[in-house]
Amino acid sequence: MLEINDLHVKVGEKEILKGLNLKVPAGEVHAIMGPNGAGKSTTSYTLAGRAGYDVTSGSINFGGEEIIGLSPEERAAKGIFLAFQYPIEIPGVSTLNFLKTAINAQARLRGEKELDAAQFLRLVRATAKELNVSEDMLKRPLNVGFSGGEKKRNETLQMALLKPKLCILDEMDSGLDIDALKLVSEGVNKLRSPERSFLVITHYQRLLDYIVPDVIHILSGGKIVLSGDKTLALQLEQNGYDAVINKAA
Amino acid sequence: MGKVVSLDNLLASMEARRADAAPWLGSLLDESRVNFASAGLPNRRVEAWRYSDLAKALHESVPASTDAMAPPELPGAAIVAFENGVLDESSSTYAGLGAQSLRQVLGEASSPYAEIIGKIYPQADHPILSLNTALMEEGIVLRVPAGVKLAAPLHLRFNWTGDAADDGRHLRVLILLEEGAEATIFESHDGAPSFSTIVSEFSIGAKAKLTHVRLENLGASARQTAATLADLGAESFYRGFYFSQGGHFARHEALVKLAGEECEAQIDAAYMVADKRHCDNTTVFNHAVPNTRSKQAFRGVLSGMGRGVYQGCVKVAPQAQKTDARQMSRAMLLSHRAEIVTKPELEIYADDVKCSHGATAGELDAAALFFLRARGIPEVEARAILVEAFLAEAMDTIADETLRNVALASAQAWLSRHAGEVSHVE
Repeated sequence: MLEINDLHVKVGEKEILKGLNLKVPAGEVHAIMGPNGAGKSTTSYTLAGRAGYDVTSGSINFGGEEIIGLSPEERAAKGIFLAFQYPIEIPGVSTLNFLKTAINAQARLRGEKELDAAQFLRLVRATAKELNVSEDMLKRPLNVGFSGGEKKRNETLQMALLKPKLCILDEMDSGLDIDALKLVSEGVNKLRSPERSFLVITHYQRLLDYIVPDVIHILSGGKIVLSGDKTLALQLEQNGYDAVINKAA
Repeated sequence: MGKVVSLDNLLASMEARRADAAPWLGSLLDESRVNFASAGLPNRRVEAWRYSDLAKALHESVPASTDAMAPPELPGAAIVAFENGVLDESSSTYAGLGAQSLRQVLGEASSPYAEIIGKIYPQADHPILSLNTALMEEGIVLRVPAGVKLAAPLHLRFNWTGDAADDGRHLRVLILLEEGAEATIFESHDGAPSFSTIVSEFSIGAKAKLTHVRLENLGASARQTAATLADLGAESFYRGFYFSQGGHFARHEALVKLAGEECEAQIDAAYMVADKRHCDNTTVFNHAVPNTRSKQAFRGVLSGMGRGVYQGCVKVAPQAQKTDARQMSRAMLLSHRAEIVTKPELEIYADDVKCSHGATAGELDAAALFFLRARGIPEVEARAILVEAFLAEAMDTIADETLRNVALASAQAWLSRHAGEVSHVE
């Protein structure tokens, strides 16, 4: 599904990723953990194609295709979804309108048929209900006045509607209390499937109690320094990043 | 072709105008001519005109623009049609409202408006008001009797399609709302006047309510300066919405006197300025008595070498305690050569007041743009969505759906005409 080889990325003049290697097979959930400044957010933004994250060497193969050089919208249409750490508030754009525009824009980019208004509403209502997104939230301007939990639920709704092949969850637990975290994780777990991979990026082990990964990678200094199963998270929790990373080195 | 307008021509026209005027108008015209002669055409050495040099614009010869749009239609409205600054009776449908043409009013030997016209909110030191008064001929006068609510909006349709006189056209609108009366005035400005001044005087009586929507879709060569003067009685409400896309020189001033306790004035505005256009929004809110409220929010989108000016002045008189005045200006710059000048002015002489002002100027939000694109929305479309969303906050304040849609159509037409500039940063 996703294969990253020897990826080097600069932000401005500074090299942040220094030879990242990562392989995420279809249907698996991989977590990337790491201390502040390790390159976690850079990894997610680079995969999504944000301007200002310059790939200087290496490759990102997604579904058998090199995606470096593609625009964010092209990557989205190919099935990459980035759930934002801090979803953006956009006053003046209703959530419903935004969802419809996004779904149909991706359909157009893929050469598929767009949904008409009735089909779209049926789909959104059914999906929203399943993910605890209220009708009121759909009518409000995008993320404006949403609580932290509502914003993340809204991200999950977008994920469900856009049906991506790879979901990158960037610090999904930021700004969430335990109850909200549980609710959002339940939503994410509903979307797990053999055709869909997840890359869960997080600083804390807590999130991984709810979204249980197949593999955990530790990112430090711009590369993966250690990979293992879910017990790795517990080691980190007990001993801290420094100890685990030093041991690995 | 926009011709050079000279002070001498204007003064000569004023003399001629004075010679033909009805006796009751004589002293008003004399005063105005003297005031204008001493002030002259406003230029950048006058603080209020520092960023909008009208004298300079009138000394330029401007190739006529070919980008004129047809005036918008407002279903159900009574129309007052001005073609090239002249009232076109055959296209007008205002008779049922009891409105009268200004030409007719000014031509009468004596007039019930002798103590009203030019005196609703007099400003002897305002050169354009003096100029307009000294040369006014065409326009409309409407009195809405106490307690009457006009069923249909009045559409003042200013359309410019051809060459006007050398010294321009100077139109006057006089609207009197008596106690408890209500009306909706919709102004549309289309085409490219060589030079026009339009002054509207609104007397809003106690408990009266005026909704005022003005859309300026002028051509690139248009030179126009307009002013709305309003005097608000106790518990009255002035609700303004302004849209403008500027012109070679386009300025609108809202000069509002909050003269009765518990009255309120609220203005929302959107302006979109492309190419080499100039668009000036100036407001002066004069809180003259206690317990009055004003609120103004201006939003601008500037592209190309467009230039926007926002000057917002709030005056609070010593006795005007409990004034609540809020002011906000936000500008979005889509090009590195576009410019916005923002000048808030607060003159507060009372101590128990709430007055706030804020101004921002910036580019399209890069984070929001990336968010939309990461959801699969192509860049061109994402940019248009963000610009439209920025303006929608202003448009959404128009309560009436028909009027809101007419305003939105103007914004959307601009967006589609300037899609290329909206879709990338120069």
